[in-house]
Amino acid sequence: MSLARFLLRRSLQGIFVIWGVVTVVFGLRFIAPGAPENVLLPPDVSEATRQQVAAELGLDQPLYLQYFDYIVGLPVGDMGTSLVTRTPASGRVLSTLPATLELAIAATVVAIVIAIPLGVISATRRHKPADYGATLFSLVGISTPNFWLGIMLVIIFSVQIGWFPSSRRPVGIGIDAILADLVALQLEAAASGLRDWLYYITLPAITLGTYFTALITRLTRNGMLEELGEEYVRAARAKGLPETLVRYKHALRNTLIPIITVLGLQLGTLIGGAVITERVFRWPGLGTLIINSIQARDWPVVQASIIIIGVGFVVLNILVDALYTYINPQVGEN
Amino acid sequence: MADPILDVRNLSTQFFTEEGQVNAVDSVSFTVEEGEVFGIVGESGSGKSVTALSLIDLVESPGDIVDGEIWYRNGELAEAVREDSPDAVDGTAVDLRQLSPSARRSLRGPSFSMIFQDPMSSLNPSLTVGEQIAEAVEVQRRASANPRSTRSRTQGYGLGSLLSGLVFDSREFVRSESRERAVELLDQVGIPDPEERATEYPHQFSGGMLQRAMIAQALAGEPDILIADEPTTALDVTIQAQILDQLAEIQAARGMTIVLITHNLGVIARMCDRVGVMYAGEFVEQGSLEAVFDRPTHPYTQGLLASSPTVDGAEGRLEPIEGNVPSLVDSEMPDRCYFADRCPKAMEECLDKPPELPVEDGHSAKCYLAEQEYDPETALPEGYFDE
Repeated sequence: MSLARFLLRRSLQGIFVIWGVVTVVFGLRFIAPGAPENVLLPPDVSEATRQQVAAELGLDQPLYLQYFDYIVGLPVGDMGTSLVTRTPASGRVLSTLPATLELAIAATVVAIVIAIPLGVISATRRHKPADYGATLFSLVGISTPNFWLGIMLVIIFSVQIGWFPSSRRPVGIGIDAILADLVALQLEAAASGLRDWLYYITLPAITLGTYFTALITRLTRNGMLEELGEEYVRAARAKGLPETLVRYKHALRNTLIPIITVLGLQLGTLIGGAVITERVFRWPGLGTLIINSIQARDWPVVQASIIIIGVGFVVLNILVDALYTYINPQVGEN
Repeated sequence: MADPILDVRNLSTQFFTEEGQVNAVDSVSFTVEEGEVFGIVGESGSGKSVTALSLIDLVESPGDIVDGEIWYRNGELAEAVREDSPDAVDGTAVDLRQLSPSARRSLRGPSFSMIFQDPMSSLNPSLTVGEQIAEAVEVQRRASANPRSTRSRTQGYGLGSLLSGLVFDSREFVRSESRERAVELLDQVGIPDPEERATEYPHQFSGGMLQRAMIAQALAGEPDILIADEPTTALDVTIQAQILDQLAEIQAARGMTIVLITHNLGVIARMCDRVGVMYAGEFVEQGSLEAVFDRPTHPYTQGLLASSPTVDGAEGRLEPIEGNVPSLVDSEMPDRCYFADRCPKAMEECLDKPPELPVEDGHSAKCYLAEQEYDPETALPEGYFDE
């Protein structure tokens, strides 16, 4: 099957998934307590004003019409207006998305850079101190809750030692700013921007990435052990291939095929799951926005956030599957 | 007769498992002449595959070669080794057991290579067949650029280039000459459209074609000795004959020595010059094909022959050997002939472990029947070993 057909089919499936997400998210508003118009109005307002505001927001329409309006607006990016700021909800979500993506990608990079070498070392030194150390690390990493780890890191590295900030990241620090400096050839500004960026992102990235790192370490170790026991490894040794090639060209390659899938899917989880970490570090991302919006009953922004996370998840899924067929020749054929 | 190319003396390989020490290969001695096909036959679990892996030093943990000598005749190697470790050299022969692991590894390819039972799982599913054969060629090419050094095999190709190769494309290690050679090798083992097929992945090959590719890969280093471990067992019967013919053809053309391991007496009869019969980790009988097949001395060999359908399709029922192969766990091994409990001709003598006894010139058996007639007087009563 050609890649184009594959992508088309998966995209069609994806649209149905997103439709489901939209419907559930739309319904959530009616389960949650508190009418949206109350957010905007002081408690002692007259019933007439209340109804007038509700009409302005379209809340007096029958449910199916509200639903229909909402759905029709989505393809053109209209996700309603924030009740708090009176600006488009999609705009508010998209403006916080880069910070969350930065965090998720940084956490993934931390995981890849640490976990894969650690897993390989662990597997090739099985039952030696390095292996026990790595196994202990993954056990601890998998069982440590995010919020606790984040708070501990802040206490130790920000409050006690003072290596990293405990304050909210100021506006103007981010990958986009660094890239802009680079494009403008302002290398010094870019370098200092990068320094600031690392200063603020290190602790949140470690917090968010620890569980993930531990998980990938385990997967790599077990996958590697399994592959090293395969007959093709023995055959590769039998033809005189040096151990480095046997391990890293033959065994690691097959180990990484399933891990790439996990990496891709986990990136989606990280975007949605950064809420707690963002809260701990007051990271100016999507998670913070969602929590603030829920507290303010700003339903359009909550809905828009969840839908955008859903879309991101579906797109990542499709990309991971496409990548999988590319790197695993056996799947590509069928 | 010239000196043998391989002279194995008292080779013992053990596995250290949770159930205890397992004597997979128990003090085995045999010789292999240059240019012959030496067969090792036995039931599953008799230690024949472990013997093969011991020769090529691929016994994996928890297994280990614990004792014995493997004398391999190779003048060039003897010269190279003599200086550093004179004890390991005797004339033109070298005791492989005394070489370092890296030196032994460097013999894989130019001296020894091996083909395995299941070609489907013996090739990496995510690399093309051509790439894998080319690797074998490339390793030898790099090694011969500097024969004394084992490091040169990866010259200029360290971990860094490997890891980048994972992300981009890992073909750097193999140069295009090796790739061309791989296509030639595929052609030599009778694979049509070798150029096309070299770019395909193992799952696109049939079992027979894959085993041919494995043979091509094993030939890449122009080995002196090819070890074939059940090369046809996983294949269809019709394909089996083709693969055996292919091996015979290559052996004749290159004067290569083959150590052929199989449980199939038909394969042995078709291919081998000499044969050793393994039981419970020991060689119970060895000699020329004709001697062992026509004048089997050890009752186990006799039983094995009687339990196999003959090639000429003679009438008569097949006679299975009663009982099972012993477990090979050291603590459970009796201090007698290991076959005595299944042997229809067990005698009182058999409670002492028989040594290897000559039957005739070049034919020996680990059985007292090699030098005496079966004596019903001293026969052990039926059920003697049943607790």
